Amino acid sequence: MTPRVAQMGLGAFSLLFFAFIYAPLLIIIVYSFNSNPVNMMLWDHFTLEWYTGLFGLSERGPEIGDQNRSLYLESTDQMLHALRTSLTVAAFTTTIATVVGTATAIALNRFRFRARRFYNGFMLLPMMMPDIVLGIGLLIFFVTIGLNLSIVTIIIGHCTFLISYVFIVVQARIAGIDPALEEASADLGASEWVTLRKVLLPQLAPGILGGALLAFVISMDDLVITYFIAGTESTTLPVFIFGMIRRGVKPEINAIATLMILASVIIAGFGLWLRARKTD
Amino acid sequence: MALRRDSVVLGVLLAPVTIFLGVFFLVPLLIIAVFSFLTPGLYGGVEWSFYHWNYGRIFGWADGIEEIYEPVYLQILFRSLAFGVLTVALCLVLCYPVAFWVARLPERARLFFLFLVALPFFSSLIVRLYAWLLILKPSGVLNETLIALHIIREPIELLYTPAAVVLGMVYVMVPFMFLPLYAAIDNLDRSLVEASMDLGANRRQTFLKVILPQTIPGIIGGSVIVFIPSVGNFVVPDVLGGAKGLMVGNLVEQQFLSARNWPFGSALSMLIMSVVLAVLLLATARARKAGGQA
Repeated sequence: MTPRVAQMGLGAFSLLFFAFIYAPLLIIIVYSFNSNPVNMMLWDHFTLEWYTGLFGLSERGPEIGDQNRSLYLESTDQMLHALRTSLTVAAFTTTIATVVGTATAIALNRFRFRARRFYNGFMLLPMMMPDIVLGIGLLIFFVTIGLNLSIVTIIIGHCTFLISYVFIVVQARIAGIDPALEEASADLGASEWVTLRKVLLPQLAPGILGGALLAFVISMDDLVITYFIAGTESTTLPVFIFGMIRRGVKPEINAIATLMILASVIIAGFGLWLRARKTD
Repeated sequence: MALRRDSVVLGVLLAPVTIFLGVFFLVPLLIIAVFSFLTPGLYGGVEWSFYHWNYGRIFGWADGIEEIYEPVYLQILFRSLAFGVLTVALCLVLCYPVAFWVARLPERARLFFLFLVALPFFSSLIVRLYAWLLILKPSGVLNETLIALHIIREPIELLYTPAAVVLGMVYVMVPFMFLPLYAAIDNLDRSLVEASMDLGANRRQTFLKVILPQTIPGIIGGSVIVFIPSVGNFVVPDVLGGAKGLMVGNLVEQQFLSARNWPFGSALSMLIMSVVLAVLLLATARARKAGGQA
């Protein structure tokens, strides 16, 4: 085999690899516009019905029936409620995890103390623990201490592992910052707090923003931990979709899924833009 | 670097994480360990008395009076381990050549393809799994295509098979393998590769003796990151697997949400946790050894 042929083979394999990653997502997007309500894989004609239906805008055809229509609207309501819950959880979780994770990264990188090595290893554990173990551990814990499962327990659950993610991202940033400026600030008489706030934090901002973005995205996507500790009243969007898939697939899922893919592309693009700005 | 010693500031910075993870991470893990030795109550509760039959049911010392030994639990555990190893192996085989290819592209193309690999990180796991449900089901894309091409006449059973579970896990885990591998391959010392070729080694020898050893840290890192969530996975087998694709994660979920036998579910989770800790210890030992050599 000549190097040229080997190189072409490598290229072809790689393009197939990317097709493998993206073809399934494209299939969802294409079929979200298919009007066939019975067999959604059989192409009927182009429609936006599933999208307008998601927001309660469409008058469905006679094939749905009045009884099903109320059922359908109810599930739309539930979905929007789940989306709201997801956003609320992600907002609180991101805030808490960002503050705590950043504080930890500063402590472990700028202070000398005995348990430093222990903390450095320990902070990785919540990321490595399989989510089902963390999920049932929290479930038993909350039930044992008598805390009702609610949106609060979801936020607590998400924070347990997202603090570590923020910590890792901020840690990577802080390690690259020269402490000379902070030393100068201290030499010039600024207190420890003032130095942290006015000298270190502004330099850390891009790392903190990156960590927060990551925490937000993972929180929005978490299924397993939320599944165990959500209780009956508060369902997040991934848990809702999981339930929908388990009960039997309806065409609306394609539309929801497409919107979620779109949202992820926008968020990823935003993250990339942040990184590009950081290097400027 | 001069490290500071102000203990008040340090305390304020470290207190939140210590309290939070102590209460909501360490205590729950300890509670699982405790619960795995408690007696299951009649209606889904627990009795606070010592009970080793939860493990007896799994490992075979149940006497048939208190609990019955069922070899199926160990079988499912081994199946989960096998699925995890298979997922790691397939991810490696898929990602290694592609990471190589991407690493040699010109800058702009490289960034583009790296973005394409990273994008699934931002998209929902359940949505990506759902896509495979559409592809694999009897009236799904794959069956319809194969029938249209006259390769098969009747839809074949693709969904709810062990293969579907492994495929689904490979699909969701592939980015986690790619990035550590890419980092290792990108850091390759090219001059060593050239030297090896100049000195008369063929491509195979160069790969085995020069390239592969240098990328071992990336291979180990990616394998650990893929293996751990695979072994404990319950969503992928739940969506794509049938009875033959059941994994230990599904057993845990059943014990907690339908059978309501929390002590037994805790014992099963202790197995997952032991596997994870064993893998982490092995990997860190290996990394330390590699670090010592350098």
